[in-house]
Amino acid sequence: MDWTPPPRRSTAMRREQNLALVGAVVSGAVIATGLLLVVVARVNPDGAARMRGVMLDLVTPVWSVVRAPFDGVGRAADWVGDYLGAVDRNRRLTAELAAARAELQRAAADRRSLATLKRLDKVADPARTLVGTVRIVSATSGSVVRSAMVAAGRRDGVIPGLPVIGADGLIGRTIEAGSISARVLLLTDPASRIPVIIVRTGQAALVVGTNRPALELRDKVGADLPLRAGDRLVTSGDGGVFPPGVPVGTIIGPQEPVQVRPAAHPVGAAYVRIEAAYMAMPREAPLPGFDAPVPVEARRSGGSSAAPAPAAPLP
Amino acid sequence: MAWSAPPWRLMNAAERRRYWWGHWRLAVPFATTLLLVLVMTAPLLVPAPVFPQVALLGIFVWATFQPGLMPPWLAFMLGMVADLLFAQPLGVNATLFAATAGFVRLFEARYGHHAHGFDWGLAAAVIIAFEAATWGLMAIAGKPVPLLPLGWQALTSMVAYPLVVALCARVQRLAFGPGGTP
Repeated sequence: MDWTPPPRRSTAMRREQNLALVGAVVSGAVIATGLLLVVVARVNPDGAARMRGVMLDLVTPVWSVVRAPFDGVGRAADWVGDYLGAVDRNRRLTAELAAARAELQRAAADRRSLATLKRLDKVADPARTLVGTVRIVSATSGSVVRSAMVAAGRRDGVIPGLPVIGADGLIGRTIEAGSISARVLLLTDPASRIPVIIVRTGQAALVVGTNRPALELRDKVGADLPLRAGDRLVTSGDGGVFPPGVPVGTIIGPQEPVQVRPAAHPVGAAYVRIEAAYMAMPREAPLPGFDAPVPVEARRSGGSSAAPAPAAPLP
Repeated sequence: MAWSAPPWRLMNAAERRRYWWGHWRLAVPFATTLLLVLVMTAPLLVPAPVFPQVALLGIFVWATFQPGLMPPWLAFMLGMVADLLFAQPLGVNATLFAATAGFVRLFEARYGHHAHGFDWGLAAAVIIAFEAATWGLMAIAGKPVPLLPLGWQALTSMVAYPLVVALCARVQRLAFGPGGTP
């Protein structure tokens, strides 16, 4: 067999080939690391909470400065619009006011009788407590996660899992908190589930985000009453995060899937209220003590702070 | 790749200073793309999720303009920053940005340079693959998202491609001069 050895590679060629090989290996390793991280995120979703908090703290101040002039322009436009439409609005509001006065008197009577009934039945309503009124710095319009950043964090008492309420209605709940900023999961995010009551029928249901401007109403509980366009939805207070009675939205499409227009829009709401969770989840019960004999040295140095349950006698 | 320092002894003090201070150019693609990632967190006055994936476009464009300065590991870092900023599970954007940089590098090495229109088509294909893979990886990471908004984002990203190219080309000429090699 005639076999000639391959021509010897020049040094430069060899160097370049080695570099290309190293580059390919590094690239493959990097992509594999990324996939591994995705799987880790499935198992441990809160793994990078602190890092996320730090990134939020870095970015939020930037946007609160950048946003300031735009807010000014928006306010000026509102101001001009107020003057242009003042007469029309005045006439309409005067008519509405007469109707509202009568309604208000009925509501006052209802409120008093409700308070009397609650007193008779010794109903205990948890009070709503305000953590802070803060400004929304930015609301992302990415197509994967719908979230907003607010300029208050752990230093102001904001922790993940608090309800965020705007002037017109519910905005969302906090999911991450840095020391001076926090991230709010908006109603429109696919991960958002809000327990609501349909005001007209009293049915309980869930409002689910779909990453589109309209929300969806799902999982209605109880008799299947027909819905109408214009039915209002308020939070029911189930689940203990959102206080009951906060406006969530209005039904715009009563056919399945039921479409809901949110009551408040995060971009319009410059300032929002962050409240404490309505009925906070109880702290997790301590794990049952590990009932194996603990060495005397460990017990003396306070290794197990929770006193272990007395070991059951062996049979 | 073919970038070596000029002979040290042949340079006078001013030239050496200029040579050393010129290293800031190595960070230009990274810094531009980081800026694009930040821009994606900007408050936008539309309620629909239509903001284009300009960070991905930045990776794509810099991988064609300066393949040596946008290696997959750097794209991975940018993807991690994007994941942290967009509240996505860690690793989704990191994997896909790194894969994009690697793919563009391979493709350019194999098939060379093209006209702008061809690159636009290639970018469109990359964007569609990216959105589909985002959908899949989000499902793997345990946070499934609906597909339709991703489709809208793909469309806006394709429209935004020439803008990102124009921006990066301008930065490229400012930083590296018309020749294009650092």
